[in-house]
Amino acid sequence: RAICTIFVDTQKSTAGHRKAVISLRKIQEACCYEPANYKTGREGEDFDEDDFNAEIVRCVLRIVPVRKAEPVGDRVVRFLGTFLNIASNKDSEIANHADPDASSVPETPTSRLTTRILETLLPLLSAKEKTIRFRATQITSHIINSLDTIDDNLFHKLRLALLKRIHDKEAPVRLQAVYGLGRLAAEVEDGNEQDESDSDAEVGAGVLAKLLNTLQHDPSAEVRRNLLLNLPLSKEVLPYLLERARDADASTRRALYARLLPALGDFRYLSLTHREKLLRWGLRDRDENVRKATARLFRERWIEDCAAKPAEELEDGPQEEQPKVSNQAADPSLDALLELLERIDVVNSGGEGGIAQIAMKEFWEGRPDYVEYVSFPDTFWEDLTPELAFVVRSFNDFCRSSGKEDGYDGPRMLDGMLADKLPEVTMFGFLLEREIAKLLETVQAAAEGEDGDAEEMCVQREFVVEQMLHMALTFDYSDEVGRRKMFALMREALAHADLPEEATRLVVEVLRLVCGVDAKGEREFCGVVVEAIAEVHDILGEEEEVAEDSTSVDDSFHSATEHHIDDGAVQGKRSKKKRTVTRETAEADEGKALREIVVNMKCLHIALCMLQNVQCELEENASLVTMLNNLVVPAVRSQEAPLRERGLCCLGLCCLLGKNLAEENLTLFLHCFAKGHPALQTIALQIIADILITHPSLLAEPPIDPNTTTATEQPPMENMLQKQVLKAFSRSLKSDDHAVQSTGATAVAKTMLSRLITDKDLLKQLVIAYFDPDTAGNAHLRQSLSYFLPVYCHSRPENAARMAGIATGVIGKLATLREAMLDEAEADSGGEGAEGEMVKLSVVGTMLVDWTDPRKIVGFAEAAVEVGAGETHFLLAEAVFDRLNTSQVGKEERKVLFGMLGKLHLPPGGCDAERIKAVLTGLAEASDVASDQTSRNTLAKMQVNLLKMIREAVTAEREVED
Amino acid sequence: AQPGRTRKEKEPFEIDFLAPLSAEVQVAMGTMATSNAQISLPRREWRSRSRNLLPDDRHFNSKDLLKLFLKPKAWLGSRKAAKVVQVDGELDEAYWATAGAASADAA
Repeated sequence: RAICTIFVDTQKSTAGHRKAVISLRKIQEACCYEPANYKTGREGEDFDEDDFNAEIVRCVLRIVPVRKAEPVGDRVVRFLGTFLNIASNKDSEIANHADPDASSVPETPTSRLTTRILETLLPLLSAKEKTIRFRATQITSHIINSLDTIDDNLFHKLRLALLKRIHDKEAPVRLQAVYGLGRLAAEVEDGNEQDESDSDAEVGAGVLAKLLNTLQHDPSAEVRRNLLLNLPLSKEVLPYLLERARDADASTRRALYARLLPALGDFRYLSLTHREKLLRWGLRDRDENVRKATARLFRERWIEDCAAKPAEELEDGPQEEQPKVSNQAADPSLDALLELLERIDVVNSGGEGGIAQIAMKEFWEGRPDYVEYVSFPDTFWEDLTPELAFVVRSFNDFCRSSGKEDGYDGPRMLDGMLADKLPEVTMFGFLLEREIAKLLETVQAAAEGEDGDAEEMCVQREFVVEQMLHMALTFDYSDEVGRRKMFALMREALAHADLPEEATRLVVEVLRLVCGVDAKGEREFCGVVVEAIAEVHDILGEEEEVAEDSTSVDDSFHSATEHHIDDGAVQGKRSKKKRTVTRETAEADEGKALREIVVNMKCLHIALCMLQNVQCELEENASLVTMLNNLVVPAVRSQEAPLRERGLCCLGLCCLLGKNLAEENLTLFLHCFAKGHPALQTIALQIIADILITHPSLLAEPPIDPNTTTATEQPPMENMLQKQVLKAFSRSLKSDDHAVQSTGATAVAKTMLSRLITDKDLLKQLVIAYFDPDTAGNAHLRQSLSYFLPVYCHSRPENAARMAGIATGVIGKLATLREAMLDEAEADSGGEGAEGEMVKLSVVGTMLVDWTDPRKIVGFAEAAVEVGAGETHFLLAEAVFDRLNTSQVGKEERKVLFGMLGKLHLPPGGCDAERIKAVLTGLAEASDVASDQTSRNTLAKMQVNLLKMIREAVTAEREVED
Repeated sequence: AQPGRTRKEKEPFEIDFLAPLSAEVQVAMGTMATSNAQISLPRREWRSRSRNLLPDDRHFNSKDLLKLFLKPKAWLGSRKAAKVVQVDGELDEAYWATAGAASADAA
């Protein structure tokens, strides 16, 4: 029959579908409408509507058993959808023509056909065969999505059946079910607005809730992705959709950024938090394609939203239908760019490490029209808002860095553009001076003021100054006039106690830059900063003179050694006074003490910033020594915790500059770690690690002194030191505090990679910490170790050998941990869900085998048969046999150990005959514990391999002898 | 030989709309799952603890291991280290194999 031929044709390609639809429609019309209406009634004369429908259903059933992978099936399904869609439209045209006033949807030939097809498919939705379920669901969902209306009765049945399928075993079936239901959910959504019956609305909400659940929980990424793109975009659904920005699957994340969000309409309807999060997640995604999609969204859609419709208009009519965004970009507009930056809250997101920086880098890179368009004439600088400042700063960054990634260092086109557009250094200095003055003014106003806005103003002015300082850090100071201007400006700014901390940090860095990089420049830099610190500190003295009645705190600055005595005197005096003076003076005292802390904190901060930027020998720099003695040492001894901590940081930095100082103070830092609270412990760990790395000789074994014969009785100092350091590191790995734990792990990683520490126990603790379920919440620790452990092992054979040495110990310990955890979980919740909390022991085994795999060690391939590099898995084998033969090993652990043996790579000639013999001995012994067939097979295979190797080794030896 | 073999397997598949359904297929179409559970995911897989979301990303960067904690701008070791750090991407084991050697020599 003709219908059949049409179907046969449609499976071949989609190209002929239009024609096929027309011919099929002709047949349908011929069958279903009075021939009188149609002149061409020839073909259908003998058949009526029922025959037509039956034939279509027959054809549809032919599709049902077609395997999922066959594209022909999909083509026919598509054709069917198209046909039903067009046919039903024509039907309703005809119906309208007949009765234009009909309000309800009339029954038409196509609707009857649809009902018949769907009813036939309905039972097949729960067929046992997965292919049938898949095709049935696919056709059903496709039809639902092709049509506007469906019979009410059928609608309910379909909904129920499809809802069951969203938990289908097969992901493709779920995918199709979700596709159909997405439409149903949207349908009822619309119905809501039209005030249809309540039950309908409830049902719709039910479907939606179930789908949202699937969106979050379906194990298949494809299902989640499809749902993401097919759910109705409503307020209630939106948070669930946006949450997928962190979906575990990269293509789902990309679908959100590349398809959903551009389709969503004006981004300004999203909340600020959402905008910020979406940008942050997307631009820093681990997948490059997600990052690219986000960058495009930002520079091609969001900016156009701002350009197309200024903010005021948006406020006027938020409900208004958005004009279709044309694909052509609007002309560049500074106002649009400023609004865009305001909309992503640049004051907060434009700081160091903030997302606005990456966003703008991508923006300039992808919008040459804007690069061309922006200009910074005098008027630009007159009233610098944070947004304006950020535009110029990010533009400057972009021009100076782009093109340098490839190592190209010659003149670039953008350099010229920068020179044309930006003011020269001297001019910039004056502009910056003005901004710094404004900032200091607002800071003072905020400090005095009841004015609530002052605080907000402060933040803004601070941001502007920071941006300009960042720019100053990129300038070329070969022009002496400009250099002097900046030097004087920075020097002056630094002496203001009111300059906020971040700005201070930048000022110090600019100062370092303008002083020149050489040793002479560094000396000048230190001198100038120490002077500025003294000036800041003098504020206390000046206040002292105004209010005469207390001891001079100034003294404590100039004579650190007497600080303690002074301190005691102050307290003594105070306590004496306290009894006599009025409450008011007591309060004044308190205020003064507080002021003292604030000023000292500020001084220490400047010192800290300076120390981060110098590298000279401490003892050779007089101003640094003065600062150390007069400022840092008293702070370390202070009773005030914040002063003490900052003082310690400064002291630590000083230690990096002088080995003697480091040696003297290492015990102090160890003590801080042992006795301090977590924040102090973290600082101490950082300092200790930095010191060890900067002065590696501190940990070196001392040369044996031939004069001391009692060396054995009295361990040398350095050895003691090493012991203490190891103990501290080891303790840090067991800390409850996440920061302490991860800092400890990073410290150990650094010292191990630079081969300062080779302790096996510490390595073992590190590996255990990595797998320990207790550290699951410590992402920092886990992520740094998942980088460190393989890199450590694969960079050197001796590292891998060390890992082989501790592998069985790790497995043993983790087996115990795991058992304990499972027991506990069982006691808690009947064992449900405990599986997921700790990795399986077999996974641990696989990783250990991988880490110690000789083929992955750098240089293995080149150093063909060098004993040592190829040896690691022999060592591991020996250790595994040792463990199997000497300890009572649990069933699971034994299985894992045998599993590891099966995956070893034992290259011929990887080790000497002695070791092979040792492994063979262990193997022979282990056959007693090999309880199952798999284990025995592993052993047998290994034995054959090893015996062959030993024969070859013996032959080779003989040859040498001959 | 490889491309030839794959081509052979790709014999175009066509649905024969004229033929009656085979008995096999009819049986398959007639066989319904005895229970919904039989063709559904096990119930415990209906929910995922993580909601299939990524863990909080700490943006660990291997170059952090080359920096001092206290002086993030000063690179450990030689000028060479500073150069390596300019390059994008993570450091691999080959880097550490040579870097370790350099620092050991220095010590």
